[in-house]
Amino acid sequence: MKILTSEEKTVVFKDFGDIWENKTARSILFLVPFMMTLVLPVFFLILLFHVPSDQIKGMEQMLQLLPAQAADLNGRQSVFYLVTNLIFPMFFLMIPLTSASICAASSFILEKERGTLETLLLTPLSVKRVFKAKVLGGIFLSALTTAVSFLLFSIVMAVGDLLLSMPFYLNWNWLVLFFFLSPVITVFSVLFMALTSAKSVSNTESFQTSGYLVLPIVLLFMGQFTGLYQVNAILLLWISGILFAADLVLCFFSVRLFTAEKLLR
Amino acid sequence: MSEIAIHAQKLSKSYNGAVYALHDLSLEIPSGAVFGFLGPNGAGKTTAVKLLTGLLKPTDGSCAIFGISPVKKPCEVHRLCGAVTETARMYGRLTGMQNLIFFGQVIGLTKRECRQRAETLLKSFDLWDVRDKCLSSYSTGMAQCLSMARAMIARPRLLLLDEPVSGLDVESALRVNTMMTNLAAQEGVTVFLCTHQLQYAQNFCNSYGIVSKGKMLACGDLESLSREVGIPLRARFRLREGQTPKHMECLNDGWWGSDLSEEEDMPDLLQNLVSSGFDVFEAQLVHPSLEDIYFKLIEWKGEET
Ligand SMILES: Nc1ncnc2c1ncn2[C@@H]1O[C@H](COP(=O)(O)OP(=O)(O)OP(=O)(O)O)[C@@H](O)[C@H]1O
Ligand SMILES: [Mg+2]
Repeated sequence: MKILTSEEKTVVFKDFGDIWENKTARSILFLVPFMMTLVLPVFFLILLFHVPSDQIKGMEQMLQLLPAQAADLNGRQSVFYLVTNLIFPMFFLMIPLTSASICAASSFILEKERGTLETLLLTPLSVKRVFKAKVLGGIFLSALTTAVSFLLFSIVMAVGDLLLSMPFYLNWNWLVLFFFLSPVITVFSVLFMALTSAKSVSNTESFQTSGYLVLPIVLLFMGQFTGLYQVNAILLLWISGILFAADLVLCFFSVRLFTAEKLLR
Repeated sequence: MSEIAIHAQKLSKSYNGAVYALHDLSLEIPSGAVFGFLGPNGAGKTTAVKLLTGLLKPTDGSCAIFGISPVKKPCEVHRLCGAVTETARMYGRLTGMQNLIFFGQVIGLTKRECRQRAETLLKSFDLWDVRDKCLSSYSTGMAQCLSMARAMIARPRLLLLDEPVSGLDVESALRVNTMMTNLAAQEGVTVFLCTHQLQYAQNFCNSYGIVSKGKMLACGDLESLSREVGIPLRARFRLREGQTPKHMECLNDGWWGSDLSEEEDMPDLLQNLVSSGFDVFEAQLVHPSLEDIYFKLIEWKGEET
């Protein structure tokens, strides 16, 4: 069974073209991963090597957050460990979130604003198939971005770990984050943006709505600094599971909600 | 004639539940007809096209395109009909050629077929010189022509055109006319054309529906419409100066006019004139124009409500 028919593929490739030709979308698609996987980690590493060791001692309180298995790390190592596991995951999750949102915004909302969605719906492609092509296209592009970012990030981290002579950063948390949480967040963002496009909102407005998706992620990771809880693989799995269920619900609703009349209003 | 291209049964649409944009529209258009759907702004023409293409769901009533319901099977309807509406645009970043190829492929043609079709269409719409320019650099009229080419790319059996010539100059409008007329005559394509340009519609269509405020006021060909409205046929004669026939109205420049109850009366009238010794230079049978009928209808129905 083919996932996409050739007509649907034509739509997907046209959407890729739209995203590529859209300056804002293209720059966000490159800039966010670049910042999150290269600039910030490298900047942090440089900073870490320039801060004298005794100042790191001043971060005692923060170091209390270290889990047991990281107890025998020295000052620099433990700071790096903390940042890798407490802060960088948050940065990393911005990548599937923003890339999925921008892809979906471009292929749903911009297309509606420009009046081309109506033309597309006048073709023998049904609303459902247009929807499917656009959602899958958005998921594909943002999954690709996320995977490439993950590779880049791993290289930067490997260099950092080597310099600090620590074990490789990858642990269960990161594996769950990349293989479970990122995909469900991608799907969630694409569907969320697609649904907001059914309500008549402008492009800028919908980006503001997508800001609401960032907030829970930031809260989740920053909340760890209260010391009340730690984000671990099990918790991430739970969150992934919940989001997966939410994806299914969104998918169910959007298929029902999407009619030509609602989309074009 | 044979098949029914468009069938509407008490088709109604209300956007807000209170006011009907289209109310109880009943229509039957045979295949091969060129139907003019006429009405002032806000009459519900665009709404009708959107209902017929399934972009809107009717509030009441039903419609069918070649027997297929656009509500239940929009895709099959779209396979049979090409539609041009004012709001359906194409991609500004793509060239004219690319746009046509894209929509051709989405309809299911192969790339080769698309290219061939696009070439013919671009040439016949006089867009060949700008085929490799981005649509965003096209003028309104050029974009309009491209939309029409898009609607025709898969050789539809029905064309639904909403204000197709509103942005076109005389020359392009004429070209589009000729093309549609040929399509209708040679390939039996049915045309459903919405416009408020009456002169244009009269030249081009062979039957008409006149709507106002969502209600169909009258429907039929010119003859039946004029009969319904009660504007008679007229005979006009130009006679030698100074001659004054009886029972005729004096018009300007030596022309005389008289009402006819039917076309068949014309030869007798002419014969009478000649045999009574009048010198007839010119004789005309004047059908009431669509404009006369239209304004009379709008006036009437305005009084009723
Ligand atoms: N999306 C909409 N929401 C609410 N009302 C609408 C909508 N579209 C049209 N209407 C109303 O429906 C009525 C008919 O509109 P329609 O666009 O069908 O007119 P039209 O005959 O195409 O006019 P025009 O010649 O100006 O194009 C109008 O009174 C208009 O206000
Ligand atoms: Mg209109």
